[in-house]
Amino acid sequence: MIEVRGLTKRYGDVLAVDDLSFVVEPGKVTGFLGPNGAGKSTTMRMVLGLDRPTAGRALVNGRAFATLGEPLREVGALLDPGAVHPGRTGRSHLRVAARANGIPERRVAEVIEQVGLGGAARRRIKGYSLGMRQRLGIAAALLADPRVLLFDEPMNGLDLDGIRWVRGLLRELADQQRTVLVSSHLLSEMQQTADRLIVIGRGRLIADATTEDILRGLGHVEVRVLSTQADALLARLRERGLTVRRVDPDELRVEGGTAVQVGEVANSCHIPLHHLSEVQQSLEHAYLELTSNHVEYHGRQPTAARVSPEGER
Amino acid sequence: MTASSTIPVQRGAAAEPATGRLFARTCAAEWTRLWTVKATWWFLAAAAAAMVGIGAVAGFEAAASPDPPQGEPAWAISAITAMPAQFALLALTLTAVTSEYATGGIVPTLQWTPRRGVLFLARTVVTAGAATVAGVLLGLASALAAFAAARPGLRLPVGEGVEVLATVAFVLAAGTVLAVGLGFLLRNTAGALVAVFLLMLVLPLLLPQFGYRWMSALADVLPGTGAAFLLLGEVPGMTTASSVLVLLAWAAGALLLGGLRLIRDDANR
Repeated sequence: MIEVRGLTKRYGDVLAVDDLSFVVEPGKVTGFLGPNGAGKSTTMRMVLGLDRPTAGRALVNGRAFATLGEPLREVGALLDPGAVHPGRTGRSHLRVAARANGIPERRVAEVIEQVGLGGAARRRIKGYSLGMRQRLGIAAALLADPRVLLFDEPMNGLDLDGIRWVRGLLRELADQQRTVLVSSHLLSEMQQTADRLIVIGRGRLIADATTEDILRGLGHVEVRVLSTQADALLARLRERGLTVRRVDPDELRVEGGTAVQVGEVANSCHIPLHHLSEVQQSLEHAYLELTSNHVEYHGRQPTAARVSPEGER
Repeated sequence: MTASSTIPVQRGAAAEPATGRLFARTCAAEWTRLWTVKATWWFLAAAAAAMVGIGAVAGFEAAASPDPPQGEPAWAISAITAMPAQFALLALTLTAVTSEYATGGIVPTLQWTPRRGVLFLARTVVTAGAATVAGVLLGLASALAAFAAARPGLRLPVGEGVEVLATVAFVLAAGTVLAVGLGFLLRNTAGALVAVFLLMLVLPLLLPQFGYRWMSALADVLPGTGAAFLLLGEVPGMTTASSVLVLLAWAAGALLLGGLRLIRDDANR
């Protein structure tokens, strides 16, 4: 179990983490979601005692991580897979970890096999791909069979096989009643992996609920309709109190209605339709909307789809 | 809260080993960490080449000179060769600390040993200890090389040997502890190396050249001056006591500041 209470971290004028509180429970995969720069890594670093909070505290199994004598037996974590000495072999890297925590050497060979590092373990880390470094970091996290696991963007740099493997591993670890916290900036990834989501933006908590609830709240249905008489249809639909926006001269999007309703309106006014469908709003889009007020670094992006003035609500 | 029923049985905090045991483990981890990178071996090879190589050359030259030595002790060569060789050993200990900041390796290190005081002590003891012991063994090898090359011109009196090697050990221990402290304080290989070279070599040589009294006085309180007096003698104004005091003060000061930075600051930001 991980408990974060009022956690705050300030770097000069920048408030990287702002009064963040949440609890990560065992037995599920908890996704830690937010755009780049939202404070995910900083939060994890404070949980792991690497950075000192400006205020608040983080406890792992009821204790501050920095006081643990055999931390690997309690918490396994992978932060930055590149943060290793490149001159050491993968095996030596893990042997150092094993010695520091009084773990028998045979576990080193076992986790090397478990993560599929095999023959590469006797090579220097400088020759590893990012995916291999991820696997090495995961091996170190699993070394002492800990009850709590934290992974910061573990899918980065992995190929499809690797991503499937990590997904399966996270599920397996949660099924063994371990506490699993995994961060990502990709909602689509978390959608497939996490049971519960903690969403943050600009260091603040935005949402903390089951993945299902969050997705339900985000992804609402829209009706997509194409007609050469879009102006007339737009007016009629609005008369019925529906929210309509124009995305193209011939294309409308109707919120809060069904395809049947829109079809009947068109039929009663003798407006020919060329396309009529219900579409699930893209979750990525919805997620961006959720966090857009919280993204620190905006790219200036022309919103080409929304230029027609009468289409705007 | 329903979730509490799924929490696995808590392992008691009492099961955690005592601090002494943790310290021993951390030392073992530091030992492995030190010898599993190439840089350590390269610096050790450089120190060995300097000490044993110069020792042998000095021995041959002594034997070949028109006025060969008549049974003088070979131990002087240990102290003389330790003067240049100490820099390889200082670099060895220093990079053992700073490379962790350059590579980010300090992050996994602190995940495996989050008690920073334990880590700090273990790293200081293991790296400075290993470099000092290596330096003393190389000092012994250096004198043996000179003795063998100059035979029968030089002698190896045991009593003087112990005294010289103890001096070498003290200078190296103080210097490498200073290097460890500066490494933890500056967290940067280039910066810490420059600082060590300035304090141990450049400023002690340079400052007295200007001829101002205050500059000479400043040079007298630098660790390099103390090391030079203890190893080579021939430094006006210094005594054994003042040299020992200066070296100890610098080592302790750097260690204190480096330790405070490691324990109080964020891991690597």
